[in-house]
Amino acid sequence: MKPVILFIRLIMPGILFLSFPACNGILGNIYDEPLAEEKNEFGFIETDEVNNSGTVYIDATSYTRWTYIDFHALTVDSLEISEDMREPEHWDIAIHRYDVKTNGASVLETGFTGLSTLKASGEIPKGDYVSDEWTTNKIVVDMSGMMDGKLKYAESYYNRELSKWLFVDTSTMPPGYNPSNKVYIIRLKDNTVAAVRLRNFMNASGVKGYMTIDYIYPFEV
Amino acid sequence: MQKILVTVFLLIGCCFLINPVSAQSIDTRTYSDSAAYDTMLDEIVVTGTRSPKILKNSPVITKVFTENEIRKVDVTHIGELLQSELPGIEFTYSMNQQVSLNMQGFGGNSVLFLVDGERIAGETLENIDYSRLNLDNVQRIEIIKGAASSLYGSNAVGGVVNIISKIPVEPLHVNFNTRLATNNEQRHGGSISINTGRLSSATNVQYVSAGDLKMKNEGVYSKVYGNRTLNVKERLQYNLGDNFKLTGRGGYFFRERDSQVSSKDRYRSFNGGAKGEYAFHQKSNLELAYSFDQYDKSSFLVEDRLDVRNYSNVQHNLKGLYNYSFDSKNILTVGGDYMRDYLMSYQFKDNASYLQHVADIFAQYDWTPTKKLNIISGLRYDYFSDADISHVSPKIGLMFKQGRFNFRSSYAGGFRAPTLKEMYMSFDMASVFMIYGNRDLKAESSHNFSLSGEYTSQYYNFSLTGYHNIVDNRITTIWNTELKGMQYMNIAKINITGIDANASVRLPSGIGARLSYAFTHEKIEKGQPLLSQTRPHAATARIEYGKTWRKYGFNIALNGRLLSKLTTYEYTSLTSYEEMEEVTYPGYTIWKLSLMQTFRQGINLIVGIDNLFNYVPDYYYSNSPYTTGTTFSAGVSIDISRF
Repeated sequence: MKPVILFIRLIMPGILFLSFPACNGILGNIYDEPLAEEKNEFGFIETDEVNNSGTVYIDATSYTRWTYIDFHALTVDSLEISEDMREPEHWDIAIHRYDVKTNGASVLETGFTGLSTLKASGEIPKGDYVSDEWTTNKIVVDMSGMMDGKLKYAESYYNRELSKWLFVDTSTMPPGYNPSNKVYIIRLKDNTVAAVRLRNFMNASGVKGYMTIDYIYPFEV
Repeated sequence: MQKILVTVFLLIGCCFLINPVSAQSIDTRTYSDSAAYDTMLDEIVVTGTRSPKILKNSPVITKVFTENEIRKVDVTHIGELLQSELPGIEFTYSMNQQVSLNMQGFGGNSVLFLVDGERIAGETLENIDYSRLNLDNVQRIEIIKGAASSLYGSNAVGGVVNIISKIPVEPLHVNFNTRLATNNEQRHGGSISINTGRLSSATNVQYVSAGDLKMKNEGVYSKVYGNRTLNVKERLQYNLGDNFKLTGRGGYFFRERDSQVSSKDRYRSFNGGAKGEYAFHQKSNLELAYSFDQYDKSSFLVEDRLDVRNYSNVQHNLKGLYNYSFDSKNILTVGGDYMRDYLMSYQFKDNASYLQHVADIFAQYDWTPTKKLNIISGLRYDYFSDADISHVSPKIGLMFKQGRFNFRSSYAGGFRAPTLKEMYMSFDMASVFMIYGNRDLKAESSHNFSLSGEYTSQYYNFSLTGYHNIVDNRITTIWNTELKGMQYMNIAKINITGIDANASVRLPSGIGARLSYAFTHEKIEKGQPLLSQTRPHAATARIEYGKTWRKYGFNIALNGRLLSKLTTYEYTSLTSYEEMEEVTYPGYTIWKLSLMQTFRQGINLIVGIDNLFNYVPDYYYSNSPYTTGTTFSAGVSIDISRF
């Protein structure tokens, strides 16, 4: 038998066999499952006491909540935005979707794209640290009127520098998401320093608003 | 518009100025296989009747792209190919930079795309993934405008595009091809086919990639996302005797799009099928086929290196088709199909999945009472289990020949059943609003009336077609105040009327020219959620010159697309259909010059200059061409087995 004919006769049954796959599809195992544990664990999910570093994972999907992070106590708290909302007694930064405010701190965007390279530099970057500003048109709490150009905002402090960690381009639909991948230095009001980097803004299923933040606190040289 | 008319007159002038008589003196050895002298009227077509017909005898007007034409146009995406010749077809970007079709008022879900007669699973924003339609190893593409549900069922509301694969004829054929273009556009492919008489096999692999393309001016999109596509297909045919043929096929498709820094969109398809064709005798034949098509979407999360699937459409199709020729004047075609349609989607609540079964039977009678007259009639019944919808689609067509004139008239019904997505969607649209499905949707339906005249001489072809479509219950999303979100709903009647005109000349001297014009008028009542987005005037033009000798051939061609401006109305709010504003989208023309050279009948070199006159939109609308100006391309295709 000619090799060509033999080849075809061997291939033909294979193709026919492959033509009768499972009812609801084939090769599902080539895909990954979302990391289940990431869905439910929030807060300081990793801490390294030796290096003063770790990872915070928060659910910031809601437009109507602030999530407060306290680097001193390694705690996270979340509150519904309202006129009579009382902020926690101790906190350092707070996150609403991708917006950030600080508790009397100032922030500098660095050129570093990793905490390890920042640490290796052996110094706290110098520059124009930016404090919070009072805003009336940054913190969107109701998106339902967006189609008519009528968004509802909450008045709030807002840190323009730290909020650069994720640029959301709303000129297209759906919006484009461009993380800066940079390290930000936060001078807290007690003059201690934290370094943070937004590692991810989605959960393992790709849902946006789940923020994974790597940090060093206190950052000392 | 003025530009279009001027070009129309110039090209018609060209068609008449070219004197066919003087061409008679050309040496026949030179022109007989001239690239420009491939009249297509003797092409066999199948899409219009589901039985082989010579194009000039087909009662259904069919546009054919031959393999040679596909090669000469030198494009990668089927959208570019269709747009190059068919005026009134526009591939644009819709939301999230997804490709969207408008064919003279009919969207992507109203035009049925087939590969060798088989449906294509999956959709995004009402359009199939056109990147799956690899143009390598394609014998021809047949296009029918107008409803064709009496043969093809749901989705054949506005037309059918059928891509027919090449069947190996040579004992061994090996081809490698590569093409590079501006913006790091790359296309590399190869195919191997063998034919031993009883057995034949055709294997094709194609890889296409393009980098991010930043636009020069402001617009809906500031850049076109980079992407990579891999397409593999295998087709195997075994002749068990003179009257029994078995075909098996398999394919894999993968596309990755750099839509976000942190995640990439991935699209995959796994498909295969088996078909048996048995000829009982010269009068009748039976075809039984099974096909499987799975289309998946996933998000590749760059940080976590996870590839998470969020969409899967799996379709199993069983098909039977029987043709019986009582004599050369009477052909009966009967058939039936069954489809199992499974859909899991991120647009369903909790990534749920739904399933429906679709079944149909149909019959068609093709009667040629005299040499001059052909009458074709058909009826089809479709049933959709989940929506519990049934639909009857009729058709009647008539063709009358008088000398060099052909006249055709037809009525055809079309319909589109609501999809599982449209019935069950529950999707949070970027936290802005929800989109809900609707289980009470009715099927879209259309009534298509057309009348055409065609004149064909040895070198010239002129045709004029007028048509009118009444489209009822079109499905679209409408703002629902109670739900505070969008919901799929049926809307009131739409009328689409148009004229298609075509003039072409192909001379033995190697000169060819073609001009096509389309006028489309969509009549949609004010207050309807959808408003017209179709340009009223469009034209395509081609002028070429080519010759082929034994060891060398060339073809130089200038192709143009001319689109009029579109002035329409848009609602000022997406939640109310009362206040409107007039908007105008600019018209434009795009021209492409290409030179194809063939050496020793085995090496093809093609160089091209696209967007010859450097058109750059002042603002990039969704329906603007996303070009940054003139681009250059160069490609080579080598048929190794020819040496």
